[in-house]
Amino acid sequence: MTTLWPIALITFKEGIRNRAVYGITLVALLLFGATALVATMVPREVGKVAVDMALSTISFAGLLVVLFVGINLMAKDLDKRTIYTVLSRPISRSQYIVGKFLGMIMLITVTMGILSFLAISAIVMLKTIHGGFFTRFSWQAIILADCLTVLMLIVLSAVSFLFASFTSSSFITLILTIITYIIGQSLSGVKALLETPSHELGFTVSPVTMNMVKASYYLFPNLSLFDIKLQAAHDLPISSSFVIWTVVYGLVYIAISITLAALIFRKKEFP
Amino acid sequence: MITINGISKEFKEGITGKCVKALEGLDLEIKQGEVFGFLGPNGAGKSTTIKILMNLIFPNTGEAKIGGKDVRDPEARRIVGYLPESPYFYDYLTAEELLWFGGKTAGMDANNIRERSDMLIDKVDLQNARKRPLRTYSKGMVQRAGLAMALIHDPDVIILDEPMSGLDPIGRKMVGDLMVELKGQGKTVFFSSHILNDIERFSDRAGIIIGGRLKRVDTLQNLLSGGKDLEDVFMGEVALAQGGTAA
Amino acid sequence: MRRTIAIAAFLLVLASLHVVALGRSTVERKQLPRGEGSAIVLPSPLLKIAALEFRGLISDYLFLDSIAFYGETLNRTERPRIKEWEWRWLYQTLTASTDLDPYFLDPYLFGNAFFTWEAGMIRETNDLLAKGSGYRTWDWMLPFFAGFNNFYFLQENEKAAEFLMEASRRPDADPMLVSIASKLVFKEKKTETSIQFLEEMLQRTDDESIRQRFTTRIEALRGILLLEQAVVQYQKRFHRKPQRIELLVAKGIIQNIPQDPYGGKFYLDPSGSVKSTTERELMPHRKQ
Repeated sequence: MTTLWPIALITFKEGIRNRAVYGITLVALLLFGATALVATMVPREVGKVAVDMALSTISFAGLLVVLFVGINLMAKDLDKRTIYTVLSRPISRSQYIVGKFLGMIMLITVTMGILSFLAISAIVMLKTIHGGFFTRFSWQAIILADCLTVLMLIVLSAVSFLFASFTSSSFITLILTIITYIIGQSLSGVKALLETPSHELGFTVSPVTMNMVKASYYLFPNLSLFDIKLQAAHDLPISSSFVIWTVVYGLVYIAISITLAALIFRKKEFP
Repeated sequence: MITINGISKEFKEGITGKCVKALEGLDLEIKQGEVFGFLGPNGAGKSTTIKILMNLIFPNTGEAKIGGKDVRDPEARRIVGYLPESPYFYDYLTAEELLWFGGKTAGMDANNIRERSDMLIDKVDLQNARKRPLRTYSKGMVQRAGLAMALIHDPDVIILDEPMSGLDPIGRKMVGDLMVELKGQGKTVFFSSHILNDIERFSDRAGIIIGGRLKRVDTLQNLLSGGKDLEDVFMGEVALAQGGTAA
Repeated sequence: MRRTIAIAAFLLVLASLHVVALGRSTVERKQLPRGEGSAIVLPSPLLKIAALEFRGLISDYLFLDSIAFYGETLNRTERPRIKEWEWRWLYQTLTASTDLDPYFLDPYLFGNAFFTWEAGMIRETNDLLAKGSGYRTWDWMLPFFAGFNNFYFLQENEKAAEFLMEASRRPDADPMLVSIASKLVFKEKKTETSIQFLEEMLQRTDDESIRQRFTTRIEALRGILLLEQAVVQYQKRFHRKPQRIELLVAKGIIQNIPQDPYGGKFYLDPSGSVKSTTERELMPHRKQ
């Protein structure tokens, strides 16, 4: 697929040179600095707070990249008609979507790599000074949590592609993606809450609501599955079968989203 | 080279669903090696026709082919160089990177791309700006970059949508010279314009389209026979379309 | 040039005003009474959902919020220093923090240090510790503290022993725990056991004011232990219990009666047990 590479590469270049990337990195740097300060305010578990804050910063900055840089890449094509440049080449609509998505994956991976490096530096710095307070610390768990966060962001990105394939406004794509993120992160919690026995809950859940929640659970991406920050902060055991099945889920969801996006995009017109 | 058969296109206007007929029963054939000017007032359907050829819009009826291949086949565009009306490119790429992209997606190898990039950047006079991001370019420079991109893969068919719009005299001259050069190379050029003068100067044949319907197609010679100038011919067709009689 | 000076002067005035206004506003804000209605903590299931993927972070925030609040109250002069609803808010916040991250050690330690001694919320503290103990299965300290609370504040020795045994099963547990537990159950050597228990607690406590309490208590108990052992000696020698505590000195069993570090006096009650006059004032929530 020699046509996918040039599409991916220019998508990546356009993304990484976006001024917003610098801004987001700066914000992340400030937050890592805050991590170094705030973590020391805790009497005992300095390590846990440091890991919490560092991983949360990575997640948050990554989210900003997907929402603002990623969707902006799509916006340029949808709103500003740069798409004529690309679609006039001898490439199919599907190749365009897949190539662009590969570029997006490259963008996310590289920016997250930079952020992870900064995060690890911040943690190493703290650990050298306050090593005694880093009980139950595991680099493995932290790296794993980081990788799963990257996968989560790629899944979210795939969903944003799906939205972009049928909306004509980048703003709507942004809103829909934000909503998907919120639902994706909270759905597990909501489902668990509604499944607690009604005497504990204090009110009864109607079967209609329950079915709606169950259906949503399978429809929307369950992003909270990719969140193992708690396990990383306390070095709790993470089974390899969990990791494998979660990765499979992520990859399958990405494949479905991109396939649907490509199919819908085939029918899109650009008057 | 380009064949258009019975193409119709309707657009739904807004939520009310009012149908606008953009093209009705368009039949047109562009021969290999000719420069064809597509003339019409604003909203006549020139851009729509071109976008159907580029598979950016899908016709309701009819079919179109370029070089014998259906326009819905991506391969049809391998021999096509396209310059849209008011081109817009990615902000942070350089002209060089844009040309690399154009060449690679058309299947060229790196050396070939480099050679032709150098030649084309020279020709459109962008040497000083070749490594600068496109967002720093003026409108004229963007247009020139677009031309270079359209020609990077040495296409046989060049389709230009209002190529002179918004250009200064220097730019207009450059585009004009280029069209002449392409014709000299035996390429097929299909361009649209609402500027009579441009159609007159460069076309071998011209087609007049008004309100989505093709009114006249003929060689420029024949159109201007009898001492008329193009404006008379054109306004005559407009009057006819509005239900009057030819002047 | 004049314009530049004028603009610079204008900006300077604005900047000074900014500093002054911010300072005054901050001071005034602290004077504002913090109403009971404003002290709401979201119920944990909702909090968990709202926290999305940032549970650990919000847990950290809630804990820091509570110690910041507690720190502020140390400056207060009015009594009671912390009102009842403020204690409740603190408890709810720590509960929320540990609901979001039940493995977080600091809220448990903080709760255990201050809810027992200052607020008298023993059972609530133990509920908190029990939750932490259930999650932090590698940690022997939490069940140990729970056991201490049961022993010291609630005099529920059986429950205390249960907790100590649970603690003893955890990694790196002090072997002393088993011996203390068994002594608690069999009610022998009560004073010695108490001293042992308190010394273990003293080792694990950082807070100065609480260490002070332990040290004082241990001193008192040592005094009592000395007197109890003296009573046993007296009984051996004279085949009856001493009627008054002064007899122990008079009969040469001990040099002098140890000082009660709480300022009271040691005496013997009708059954021959060593008691102190300050026993009643000391622990208002202690069963008499």
